[in-house]
Parts: sequence; structure tokens; C-alpha cells
Amino acid sequence: MRGSVTLATIALALAVSRPAPTSGAVRSATTQSVEPQLDTAYGCLACHADKRTAFVQGAHAERGIQCHDCHGGDPAAFVLPAAHRARFVGAPGKVATVALCGSCHSDPNRMRQYGLPSGQVAEFRTSRHGRLLLVNGNLDAPTCTDCHDAHRILRPDDARSTVYPTNIPATCARCHENKPLMAKYRLPTDQVEQFRLSAHGVALFRDQNFAAPTCMGCHGSHAALPPTVTEIANVCSRCHVLVGQAFDHGPHGRAALTGKLAGCLGCHRNHDTERVPADRIASTCAKCHAPGTRAHTLGGQIQQRAVQATEDLQAAERAIGQMARAGRQTGDARFRYQTALTSYQQIAQAQHSLDFEQLEDLTRRVRSISRDLRGMAEVAGEQQWEHKLLLVPVWFLALAALALAWFALRGLEGRAEKG
Amino acid sequence: MSGRFRRAMAQWATQFWADLKSSTDAGLLSIPRFLGLLYGPIDARLPIDQALRNALSYRLAPHVGWRHALGGIAYLLFIIQVVTGVLLSIHYRPSAQEAYPSIQHIVSQVTLGWLVRDLHTWSANLLVVVVLAHMARVFFDAAYKPPRETNWLVGVLLLFLVLAFGATGYLLPWDQWAYWTVTEALNAVARVPIVGGAAVGLLRGDPIVSGATLSRFFAAHVIVLPWMALALVAFHFTMVRRHGVAPPKRASGAAGSGRRFFPNHLLRSFMVAVLVCAVLITAAVLWPRPVGDPANPAQLPEAVLSTWVVVDVSRAITHYLGPWGLAGFTLLGLGLALVPLFDRELERDLRRRPMITILGLTFFLTFAVAWVAGRQLRSVPHAQTLQPQATEEPMSPPGPRGAAR
Repeated sequence: MRGSVTLATIALALAVSRPAPTSGAVRSATTQSVEPQLDTAYGCLACHADKRTAFVQGAHAERGIQCHDCHGGDPAAFVLPAAHRARFVGAPGKVATVALCGSCHSDPNRMRQYGLPSGQVAEFRTSRHGRLLLVNGNLDAPTCTDCHDAHRILRPDDARSTVYPTNIPATCARCHENKPLMAKYRLPTDQVEQFRLSAHGVALFRDQNFAAPTCMGCHGSHAALPPTVTEIANVCSRCHVLVGQAFDHGPHGRAALTGKLAGCLGCHRNHDTERVPADRIASTCAKCHAPGTRAHTLGGQIQQRAVQATEDLQAAERAIGQMARAGRQTGDARFRYQTALTSYQQIAQAQHSLDFEQLEDLTRRVRSISRDLRGMAEVAGEQQWEHKLLLVPVWFLALAALALAWFALRGLEGRAEKG
Repeated sequence: MSGRFRRAMAQWATQFWADLKSSTDAGLLSIPRFLGLLYGPIDARLPIDQALRNALSYRLAPHVGWRHALGGIAYLLFIIQVVTGVLLSIHYRPSAQEAYPSIQHIVSQVTLGWLVRDLHTWSANLLVVVVLAHMARVFFDAAYKPPRETNWLVGVLLLFLVLAFGATGYLLPWDQWAYWTVTEALNAVARVPIVGGAAVGLLRGDPIVSGATLSRFFAAHVIVLPWMALALVAFHFTMVRRHGVAPPKRASGAAGSGRRFFPNHLLRSFMVAVLVCAVLITAAVLWPRPVGDPANPAQLPEAVLSTWVVVDVSRAITHYLGPWGLAGFTLLGLGLALVPLFDRELERDLRRRPMITILGLTFFLTFAVAWVAGRQLRSVPHAQTLQPQATEEPMSPPGPRGAAR
């Protein structure tokens, strides 16, 4: 009985002193040594206990940082005004927040141990947000805590974090979908919606492909700015390396360097980025190149090859499916399909460099492999058709047997009736 | 020389035709009698010939007609299952690495392997339908009433065995359809209170469906279940011979005054068997069971193709009536299975047993409708968005917008 009372006391004490359990990704062993300090002996919690639950989930609590490290004051005091003395900061304003965060995060000697960069504040000063806030004193602009939260500052790889890849668009949308706010700066508010439906958005949200860019993939995070016309191709080339190189070597790349063409945006869109469908290549070219010009004709030829290659590849895929359903071993066919797929993907490079000879060569390779695979599938299909011929002797024999049995039965039953 | 040979052949053919025309009991029995000369010394000690005569001289009840052939068809399909199963097991390899390639080998390399496999698949489907049709006939004839209630329960056990055969055999092709259908089914079983988790743990042998599961299912499919089926089928037939076929609801003649078992009844059975075999081969040739993509525990298929009637039925009922509908249908089936335990009145007229009639009609008609509806549905596995990781598609379709970027 005594033992159970003791256990109950310990359990009650733990329940009072410990925060609500959180996911293992955030918490670490260091939390164990820090938490006891943020308990009932810590003066700030006498009034601000509501902040504790959020704060202890964050990365700062893991590292032993406490309320008074940012807010000042005397944590040993439990009553005012004693608690709010000793370099008390209170709730810093937006500008002061940047300086406060920067007091640690701009110190390379302090950040080195965590492997964190120390240039965020410097980057922030160069951004549109930073210039608005720090130069113009415009409080519409965000400060550090607007994106990272003030107390529940989670690591970027924590799925609950506001800067986790799939959460970043929503974080940006807090302001950039705010119509009254954006109207002041003549900015549209549909970028996030467009992004969700774009190739990048689908890759990120539907396929959970974190190699896909979020807002910061193209605009940067702390140094957020829209890329300029001559920068666009470079921004896209960070991921689309081979296509970017091909683009640079082609006539469009040279035009983009001089600012005559808006880089990739000449043919593609920015937030609602989408592949140009193979059957719309010529119409895309026609936006700039008048019909009858050499460039327009080339666009038509490229479209024809691209459409043909797409159809060939789809036919190859169907052929493999047909072989698989017929029970054929398809390992070799799948390997050959991968070769065709590689050539097919290289067609995109040839399109961007406008190297028609290379494009024709790649298209021929896709067609050749596709033809072989379709031939193999046809053989399998023909054999399946031959199987149906088996039904002719089967039904002939079956009907003959049924007829013989029927006559025999009639004879037997007839004799039985007579007998 | 050639003239004598022709005369001899003509004489033989004439005799053969005359024998065929007069193929009566005595005529056909001459074959085992002839063979009896060979095993005469044995027969002197083991009166096989006499046992055969006794078995074949049996006379059926006069009301036994074509509708009583369903039990025989079920037995024929069972025999086909055994024969084709043995042939398949020669080439099939029950391991996660070899099962799928061995199926491809059977279908594309082994002579008539494709036919054997599809006969096995189709006879498994028809077996369920025919067994249920047989049970429906017995049910509406009230043939489960005393003294045949034990045989009804044995028949119910045989139905469960048939379902267990299908369930364990379903995984063996080890393709995506098989893998994910079994995964869904086991997940559903795991939700059964108290016993579900333990049963699934025993069946699966691993946290997910894996090679361990395949081994268990294979062992059950080819070793455990066949022996149980053999014992129950033997018992079922013995009981049929002992009690005879249930008399008609309105008496029409004395038992044993009907047609002879041999050759009349066997000839009719032969006609049914030929027809069933022809239909079976036709189904196997025209609608072969395709081979899906190899089983991949890390990737959900876009759609699951059902290849077994039970999956069709349960899918359709779940789709239209929800999981509680399926639970209700299962309970109704179990209730009907145990009907002789509480319906012990001797009254057999359907009009005087409205409740039982309605319940039976509900079950059997729902089954038939759900089977047809289930064939039209394509199942999409649950939790597609909870796929562990968006893996790189080995065969990523290019899509119509693929070429130009």
C-alpha cells in the first residue's frame, strides 16, 4: 500500500513537472538535463506558464536556452517588479527581434558547433522583406518570428515546423494570400494556389518529393527576392542542370543573356510551372516567331518528333504490359524500355538547344526500341490468339461425346420402359 | 493378305458397333470382368469384383433429376483442382524470390502450362459458385432436416474448406494484385475483436505479408487443406449413400425404384462432366488470369484486379453496403449454415417456412448480384496517400505532356 502511494506521488510529480510528450524527432537527450530548470523553481513560469509548452518543444530548449536568455529579467524572482529588472527586454518589436536573433545567429563562432550558417541576418538585410523592415521601418514586413514562430521554434526537418518543405508555401501564404495587405504593394495573391497545381507543387505535395522546390527554392529564404529577367535561367538551372546547359548553348540562351528573352519564362510559367505539352510546342514558338519563318518551321518539326517519340514510348510501355499480362518474362524488355526512356528524356535537352540532328537521332532510338518491344508483344498476343483455336477440337469432341451419350441414354431408357 | 486383313478389320468394327449399341450393364461390365482375369488371384482373396457389382447395382430414388447433378459437378471440379494443382506444383516454387518467375515460367515456357493454370483458377471460381448452388438446392429442398443435418454441417465445413483453399491459393502468384488483396484481407481480419490480431499474426508470420506468409499459405494450400477435404468429402459421400437423396416434398414413389446408378446415372453424369469441362476450358481460354506486376510491398498498385469470386462479392458488398453490410452478410451466411440446429420441424414446404425462405433468398440472391457487380468494380487500395515513400517509378509513364520541357 505504502509502495503504491509512493509511486502515485512520483507519477503525479512527473505529470506536473514535465511537458506533454512530443515526437521523438524534436526531443533529445539534452532536454532531460534542461527541463528541471524550467520547472516551478523558474520564476518566469509563475506568470508565463502558457509559453512553456510551446517553448520546450523547440530547438532552443534542447540546447539549454531559457526565457531570460532572450527576454532578460530575473528568473529567480517570482513577483513584479523584481522579475522584470536585470536587462529586461520583454516582447521585442519586429526590428528588435532581428537584432535579438542575430545576437546569436550572426555569430559564426557560436553557430559553428551546430553546423548552422551565420549569415541569415545579413541575407535578410538584402531581401525585399529586410529592406522594408530595417530601412523603411515598415511593420507590414515580416521579421524572424513571423516565419519561425516566437516560442515554438522547431527544426526545419520537423514536420510540424512552419519551415518544413511542405509547410513553407502555407507560411508564405499567410501574408501573400492576404489581399488587403498585398494590394498595398500591388502584388498578386494567387501564387500559392498556382504553385499547388504546378509541376513543382504536384511533386512536392502529392509525391512528397522534397527535391522539388518550394517558394524558397527559387526566391531564397532569408534573402527572398524575385529573380530578375537575366537571372531566371540560372535559377531554373540549379535543378534542371542538363536542360539549362542545353538552353545556354542554344540561340535562346544567348538571347536570355542579353535580356531579350525572359529566360525559361519565355516558354514556361513561373508559379504555375508546367511542361509544355508535346503537341503545343509549335503554338508556343508561334508566340514569338511568325508563321512561315524558319524558326516557326523548326518548331513544327520539333513538335512532330516529340509527339512521335511520346507515342512510341507509350506504345512500348503498353507492349510491356501486354507481355506481362501474357505471363512473359519482361526483365529484358524493361531494361530496353529504360534505354528508350533515357533517350526520350534527352530529347528535352535537344529541344532546349534546338539541335535538330540530335533530336532526330534520339527520336529514332526511341522508335527503334519501341518497335522491337511491340514486335515481342505481338508475338505474345498471337500465341494467345492461337490458344483460342484449341476451343474448336474441344467443343467438337465435347458435342460428339454429348451426342453419343444422349443416344445411348435414350436407347437404355427406351429399353427399360419396354422391359 | 490385304483382303484377309480388311475382312478382319470389318468384322472387328461390326462387333465393336454391336457391342456399343448393346452397351448395357452387362456390356460395360465386361471390361472390368476382362480385367478381372488379370487380377483373378487377387480377386479371389479381395472380392473387388463383387464390391464393384454391389456399388454399381445401386438404384437411385425416382425423383433424382438433373438438378441433383450440382453435387457431382462440385466433386468433378474438386478433382480438376487436385489434378491441375499437382501439375502446377511440379513447376511452382513457393518463395518470395521464385514464386513470380515460376508463374511466368509455367505460363510461357511449360507446354500447356497456361491452360493448366487457368483451369485451376477457373475451377476454383466455379467450385465456390457450384458448391453454393448445391447448398441452395439442398436448402430450398429442406434436405438439411433430420436425419441429414449432419451432412449439411459437413457440407458447410466443405464450403469453408473451399474458401480456405481459395484464400490460401490467392497469394501464390505473388503479383501485386495477389499481394495487396491478401494484405487488405488480413488487415480486415486483424480488426476482428479478440482473436483477429492473433490469427493474423499466425497466418502472416511477419509484420507484413512476406515470404513467411507465402510459405504458410502454400503449406496450408497443398498439404493441410487437401487432407482435410479428402476426409470430409469421403464422410459426405458415405452419409449420402447411407441416408440417400432426400425425398421430394410430396411423395412420388418408393426410394430405390428409380433409374440404375450404372449405367444410366453415370451416363448422365458423364454428359454433365463433359459439358462442365468444355465450359471450363472455354472460360480458361477466353478469359485467362493475367499475370500482374511482381509483388512489391513498398508500392501500392493503382488498382487491384480480383480473380476470385469471394473477393468480387465482398468488394461489391463493401462498396455498396459498407463494412457493416459485409459483416451482416457474413452473419447471415453463418446463420444459414447453422440452420438445422434451430429449424428442426419436419415441415418442408417453402410457403410454410416464410422466414427461412426469405433469409435464404436474400443470401443467395445477394451473392449472385454482388458477384456480377464485383466484376465491374476495380478496387483502389486504401491509404494510397500514406505510401511510405514516393519511390522512383521504374516505368514512369511519360504522359501526353512528356517531351517538351
